Amino acid sequence: MIEGTVTAPNLLFIRDHFNEPDVSVGTWKLRIEGRVDRRYEFGFADLAEMPSKKVEAVLECAGNAANGSAVSNGVWEGVPMSSLLEAARPAPDAAYVLLEGADSGRLLQDGPPLPYSQLVPLDKCRDTSSLVAFKYNDLTLPKSNGFPARALFQGLYGMNSVKWLRRIVVLRAGDQGTVFDRSGMNRLYNRVTRQSGADRITRVSSVQVKSAIAWPTDGLKLPAGHYEIWGFAWSGGGAIRQLSISVDGGKQWNSGKLTSPANPYGWVRWSYEWNAKPGDYALMSRAKDATGSEQPLTRDPARKDGYELNWCMPIHCSVR
Amino acid sequence: MLALATDCASGLSAQEKIARFKQLDSEAETAMQQHRASEAVRLYEDAVCLVPNSARGYYGLGVAQAAAGDFLKARESLRTADRLQPATGMPLVMQVRVNFSLGDMDTLKDNLREAAARFPHDADLHTTLARFLAEQNLFVLALAEALRADQGSDDWNSKVQLAILENTVGAHEDAIQNALAIEQNHQLPEQARGAAAGIAGLSYESLHKPDQAVHYLNEAIQLDPAQDNSYLALADLFEQQQKYPDAVNVLKQARAHVPDSNAVLLALGADLVRAEQYKEGLEALRELLQKAPDTPEAYISIADAARRTGDAAQEVGALRELERRKPDYPMIHVLLARAMLNQQPPEYQRILDELSIAAKKDPNDSDVYFLQGKVYVALGRYDQALPALQHSIELRPTEPSPYYQLARVYQKLGKAELAKEQFERVKFLESANAK
Repeated sequence: MIEGTVTAPNLLFIRDHFNEPDVSVGTWKLRIEGRVDRRYEFGFADLAEMPSKKVEAVLECAGNAANGSAVSNGVWEGVPMSSLLEAARPAPDAAYVLLEGADSGRLLQDGPPLPYSQLVPLDKCRDTSSLVAFKYNDLTLPKSNGFPARALFQGLYGMNSVKWLRRIVVLRAGDQGTVFDRSGMNRLYNRVTRQSGADRITRVSSVQVKSAIAWPTDGLKLPAGHYEIWGFAWSGGGAIRQLSISVDGGKQWNSGKLTSPANPYGWVRWSYEWNAKPGDYALMSRAKDATGSEQPLTRDPARKDGYELNWCMPIHCSVR
Repeated sequence: MLALATDCASGLSAQEKIARFKQLDSEAETAMQQHRASEAVRLYEDAVCLVPNSARGYYGLGVAQAAAGDFLKARESLRTADRLQPATGMPLVMQVRVNFSLGDMDTLKDNLREAAARFPHDADLHTTLARFLAEQNLFVLALAEALRADQGSDDWNSKVQLAILENTVGAHEDAIQNALAIEQNHQLPEQARGAAAGIAGLSYESLHKPDQAVHYLNEAIQLDPAQDNSYLALADLFEQQQKYPDAVNVLKQARAHVPDSNAVLLALGADLVRAEQYKEGLEALRELLQKAPDTPEAYISIADAARRTGDAAQEVGALRELERRKPDYPMIHVLLARAMLNQQPPEYQRILDELSIAAKKDPNDSDVYFLQGKVYVALGRYDQALPALQHSIELRPTEPSPYYQLARVYQKLGKAELAKEQFERVKFLESANAK
């Protein structure tokens, strides 16, 4: 279950591809290299004492189920990646950044063990809200969430916010494919759409508009009475503008109320006053963002992958 | 504004200027020691007017200005001192303090980076900074400075401080590694090894490894039996495991070695009550209240003991005393009302008065209306019980108890169907909760 306008650190979701690495704060280093004039590395003390900024952001796993709990919202603090990159002076032909974590393992049975890594466009890294984050809600990151430092990108799915970050490699356009393919990571986080008998493969990236019902929880039994149905809505495309609720499995929709300030990259709390009479109910929420994107009512049948599960899945409860 | 040097030094020879500077400096130091900061500022201003290239003068002026609350001027003076004598780090340390007081975290970080660049191996300087930052709860920056101090020294003090900070920020494995390096070094004083063992114990506890936590906390107690923290941490661990007799044993040991610790006495009293050793528990709690009568937890533990032994009058008495001393203690009126309901015969009107105060303090507390409903039921005032219980249900519809009371009300009113409906809701909710 998701809860809280700001998710408590002990409730941050955890998704890993490999085992959590042993990273010592005393010996941890972050190295910046690749297509740059000045390669350099620094430790935690240097990072902690650099000028930092705070950003509120939803972090959602790209494979988070509809109404799933692999999502959180909080205030991250870190050093803007732009200033770290600026100090390294990327070459004019630089276009991508490979972010590498300290966790490693085998993605392919016959392949060598490789560190977890992701590829992010340089422009996104230069966005002043993209951070090398070392605090969450004013506390150091929990170890399982990337302590001592991780990448943090507003609006992108969680896989790009690489945990236990240890290397930032600047790449020129054209090199990114080769480097990324070699890592084996290109096999993950792909949108696979079956069209005219053929699979079209594109990269999953921006968080899709989505909402979740936090209360009631699925399968809850309630006595008849007045209740507040509530939950959260978010999008990587812009602030949430509208939230609709259905208690009959999507036949009729009513407007919910947005009860916290709209934030382009944080989630917004919503609620709906429900006079629950005896019966069985299928509750659904549906969000629309500032760009007009709206949650789909059902999963696109052409999708063959397990990502971007943002359709309106009902939760059931009975009232007596 | 400082007077021009030529004005304040006019007519004085170089030797006289130095002599006058020393005199002003000495008088300013005395003024500072006697907490006369404004006077110290004036004296230092005169001093730096006489000798405008004196780093000591500007440093003293900055410290005095900070003590007088003029942080902006203090920062300028300290910057001047730093410029005049860049080989010493103290003006930078003071700037960190002043920038903290100004709430200027960006400049504070500038100071820290400058200290790192100019004094990379000065462990004392970074230890001083780490201590100050930790005192201000800036634990991440404190950790950064402790890491820098650790690089510049093999001093065990720095390592203990680093381990404490690592434990504080959640780097438990690092904390254990550093702490055990000290704990296992038999050349070091037992006090240091004890502190390190304590940190290792706390970190193991955070990593949910209770066996190792117990081992190292016991080790900490053996190495430094005069520290109450290790006993308290170990007792706390046993409390979490509901091993109250074990907690009591640890705290009795603590009483023998640290007899003046109020924290030990409070924990001992509370754990004796939890271990159902009421007489001894009450003795400990009363002894504590004689020494520290404003300890709310002691009254709560006494009330707890009284409730467990069925002494409602004593329970009410302890809570009344708590209310007298801490009128804003959370939920005190609800606690009192509950305790008063156990008295025989209950004084219903006084209980209602108590609940009325509770409702004013927190109108959304469903317990208040539930207890009101119970009292009205007991008084046979069913017309008043109904809205109270219904309001309690509105505030917390998933709690079965108010439905049960509501069913009793409907029974009394002869509304069998409505009573049955409420009883069914109780069963429905209890089955849902059990699931």
